[in-house]
Amino acid sequence: MNDVILLVPVLAPLAGAVVYVAFGWRPATSWAAAVSAALVLASGAVLAADVLQHGARTGLFGLVRVDALAAFMLVVVGAVALLAAGATPSWLRGEIAAGRAEPRTATRHSLLVQLFLAAMAWAVMAANVGMVWVSIEATTIVTAFLVGQRRSRAAVEAAWKYVVICSTGIAVALLGILLLDAAASHVPGHVGLDWVELVSAAPHLDPGVTRIAVALMVVGFGTKAGLAPLHSWLPDAHGQAPAPVSALMSGVLLAVAFSVVLRVKAISDAALGLGFARTLLVAIALATLAVSASLMIRQRDYKRMLAYSSMEHLGIIAFGAAAGGPLATAAVLLHVLGHGLVKGVLFLGAGQILHATGSSRIDAVRDLVGRVPVLAGCVGVGVLALIGFPPFSVFASELGIVRAGFGAGLGWATALALVLVLVIAAALVVHTSRMLFARPGAAAEPADEPSAASPTSPDSPGLPAAPDSPASPASPGLTTSPASPTAEPALPRRRAAMPLLLGLLACSALGVTAGPLAAVLDAAAQSLTGAP
Amino acid sequence: MSALGIVGGVLQAALVVAGSPLLVGWMRQIRARLEGRVGAGVVQPWRDLRKLFRKEAIAPAGTSEVFRFTPLVLVGSTLVVAAAIPFVTDASALGPGADLFAVVALLAMGTATLALAGLDTGTAFGGMGASRATTIIALVEPSLLMAIFALSVPVGSTNLASIVHSALRNPAQVLSPASLLAAVALLMVTVAETGRLPVDNPSTHLELTMIHEAMVLEYSGPDLALVELSASMRLSVFLGLLASLFAPWGIATSLDPVPLGVGVVVFAAKVLVLGTAVAVGEVFVAKLRLFRVPELLAGSFLLGLLAVAASFFLSRQP
Amino acid sequence: MSEALYVQLLDLAGGALLLTAVVILWRRKLTAIVRVFAVQGFALSLLVAVLAAHENDPTLGGIAVGLLVLRAGVLPWLLRRALAAAGEEQHETRPLVNVAASLLAAAVLVLIAYAVSQPLVELFPSAASTAIPVGMAVVLIGFFALVTRRHALSQLVGFLLMDNGITAVGFLATTGVAFVVELGISLDVLMAVLVLYVLASRMREAFGTTDLDDLRELHD
Repeated sequence: MNDVILLVPVLAPLAGAVVYVAFGWRPATSWAAAVSAALVLASGAVLAADVLQHGARTGLFGLVRVDALAAFMLVVVGAVALLAAGATPSWLRGEIAAGRAEPRTATRHSLLVQLFLAAMAWAVMAANVGMVWVSIEATTIVTAFLVGQRRSRAAVEAAWKYVVICSTGIAVALLGILLLDAAASHVPGHVGLDWVELVSAAPHLDPGVTRIAVALMVVGFGTKAGLAPLHSWLPDAHGQAPAPVSALMSGVLLAVAFSVVLRVKAISDAALGLGFARTLLVAIALATLAVSASLMIRQRDYKRMLAYSSMEHLGIIAFGAAAGGPLATAAVLLHVLGHGLVKGVLFLGAGQILHATGSSRIDAVRDLVGRVPVLAGCVGVGVLALIGFPPFSVFASELGIVRAGFGAGLGWATALALVLVLVIAAALVVHTSRMLFARPGAAAEPADEPSAASPTSPDSPGLPAAPDSPASPASPGLTTSPASPTAEPALPRRRAAMPLLLGLLACSALGVTAGPLAAVLDAAAQSLTGAP
Repeated sequence: MSALGIVGGVLQAALVVAGSPLLVGWMRQIRARLEGRVGAGVVQPWRDLRKLFRKEAIAPAGTSEVFRFTPLVLVGSTLVVAAAIPFVTDASALGPGADLFAVVALLAMGTATLALAGLDTGTAFGGMGASRATTIIALVEPSLLMAIFALSVPVGSTNLASIVHSALRNPAQVLSPASLLAAVALLMVTVAETGRLPVDNPSTHLELTMIHEAMVLEYSGPDLALVELSASMRLSVFLGLLASLFAPWGIATSLDPVPLGVGVVVFAAKVLVLGTAVAVGEVFVAKLRLFRVPELLAGSFLLGLLAVAASFFLSRQP
Repeated sequence: MSEALYVQLLDLAGGALLLTAVVILWRRKLTAIVRVFAVQGFALSLLVAVLAAHENDPTLGGIAVGLLVLRAGVLPWLLRRALAAAGEEQHETRPLVNVAASLLAAAVLVLIAYAVSQPLVELFPSAASTAIPVGMAVVLIGFFALVTRRHALSQLVGFLLMDNGITAVGFLATTGVAFVVELGISLDVLMAVLVLYVLASRMREAFGTTDLDDLRELHD
């Protein structure tokens, strides 16, 4: 095997971008996104297997280095991107049908998403901290226009906040990188900004400078991961971005940014001992959880609700990273994947709800179970998976993180985090059950558990005849004609729920057994914690 | 206390008393010419003073000794400062007493006394002017101290003679960022302290804006003459301070007549140049609204602080 | 270049960086702010050029020229264009913190910057590293401007101020990051500004103003 495989995760999305530039968005090209995502996923899997056998691979003149963490993150990126790409064509069609987008918008959307994927793949694979910084900033620039795609006042406002806050955070991280470089340049022997060199030179770094550098980098990259204190862009951007983009941003972008924090933590642990990064991350994690809990309770917008839930999960992930140790780190990585899949499903589901009801207010959505049972089932189960119900993988990873937290002597902090997580879970369940079960006009009653998805007839009383197309089993999307060009809220087709079901299935399978991924998780955790 | 210091002190005091009204006249003349007027001539302030000295002294009913003594205190304190600062010679008449803090305190005392006198008259304008002047001096003092501190850090002393000496020995020091920032801060302080534009307009009696003029509204005759004289002396003292601190070249270092003569001429020239610059600047700026003045002074404070910071950050030769 | 001249020029460039940052915080008129920003870009490239001359490093000299073009030429030009497009409203009218208070805050920030950069200065005492606090102070002042200003363009200038400071710290603290990385960073800054520029014009389309006071749609 040669370097070609290292190029695939970046070149596949770039090729996808070229396709969209050349041919535009049309039924024939609408699945190119899925193909490129699948290629990223496949190359991630191949690389993971390779890394497990032969150790980390360096290539492309030392610019790229794939270790277990990078391979795993590629898998995450590929999986969630595949999920989003599966739902994008029908979503775009819905947007065009609702008059909110034109084919040109769709082309631009697809192009930017491909560039976004390429930037994320480059961010996880780059061997040099500087290149990581450049690619993370590139994701901001590319997604800015995706967030502001609808050009409404709210969308422009969200995009502005997104770019300003994220660029600021990233600039802070850059300062940290430069300081780290300054510290490294005073270590005997030539130490550049390569992750490997930095980790191996870490014990010799000047502690004073490294402390500042690590703090700046954690806060800076934490901004992009939606962690406090620079988190305020997240609900706005996630709330206003198109559903597939929200899914990608929430499911992967945050995780990619956090994977950088994990790498910084590895340097910090070697240079400053475990205590510094732990204190910093625990403080950030608890602050993030507190912010998300306080704003979740009275949330009125379901997309923002999901965004705050993303903050919560990144808080949990940061907490797990703070606990440290191989077990916690493996749990963190599993959580990244599980959360990515579930949150992807939920955002895509939210996009379909938006199409069905035309509003993103929780109040405006009532009795989903009666109107669109499949979608309602997916969303309901997704929320259960999100708050950590077995058999979904979030349960397993949260359990692992909590155990590691108590084991690492963070008893009180863990207890506090658990309380906050419970508050958030309660808020999520209450809001969701209102959307799912409450009769229009009826007072919402807290439901205990929504039933699992049951593919019953989607006919719903009291609604205009839905343009529910006949179920065609194979290759959805390719054969269908564009949806009816009415501006009325359209009920989503049943097969639009397919990606959602698949995502949930994958997550639950992951919860039962991590399978071949377990070895990758272990390898990544060990390389990050310095354990043998 | 050296002989050079004493000679210098006497020379300086005489020069400041005699020259200050001429400086004010010169600045008015320049403004007049730039504004397309003929102007009253350079010696007009002296003519005004002569006229005022010939008049009878009248104190408003109900005023106390504060009102009566203020002109004397003003002139006296300014005279001490004029003698103390090394303007013409590099030694001070007060020797180690010529501390920057002492000088600043003496100048501030003058302002404070005048504010008290304004309050003493019990009129609305006096009180208003006093309150404004107190506000401004409260804002000015910190930045003045900061600027001084910045200048004294590289020298290691707040003695004016030492600072001037050090600047003479090491001219590059004057061009350091700390010194430049301190110069800008001190210039702003000077403008505010001497009641020039854009903080106060010396040539208006508009009740809404005046500060200095409001306080001295009740003075007449010789008292007014003393107040006006001390105001012009303060202006030349501040400008001379700027000149000595940031361009000390030409100061006499020995008792010979030639260096002394050169010192006198150079001092007069420096103050004239600075005065010209201030007058020309005044043509182009409008008076700041009173509530924007704190902004200006906060800025000068910041510059002073930056100067202190820069004298620590930078210029530390490895 | 003699050592004394090197130190003198370095100090001068550093002082100019700090002074321009303060003036940007001080002024209300956006055209003046943009002009001062261009001066700062010039000071930054002067700083790098002085370092390049001192170390006889032609690459660094090239970077200095690049910085001059970008920070003193292209970015101010873009800002000026945006201002011209904005037409009438060219004042930062009501910053969240009034100007006098923000100047005092800047004073505190300078002290903080000095305290924070002590480990760096002590790590390798040299003429260049003693100027690091200046860069840090510019970063902090930029951040302050970013969070307290309401006009979109002054926020943008705040961001760029931060970036200038970071660049200064980078060059003062190390002998210069790898050329590729520097290129990437500059490109990214340019891109970010272009994106914000486009967003600002869209904002004007949507809101009729670039005053961020109108950004009140999204909140909890």
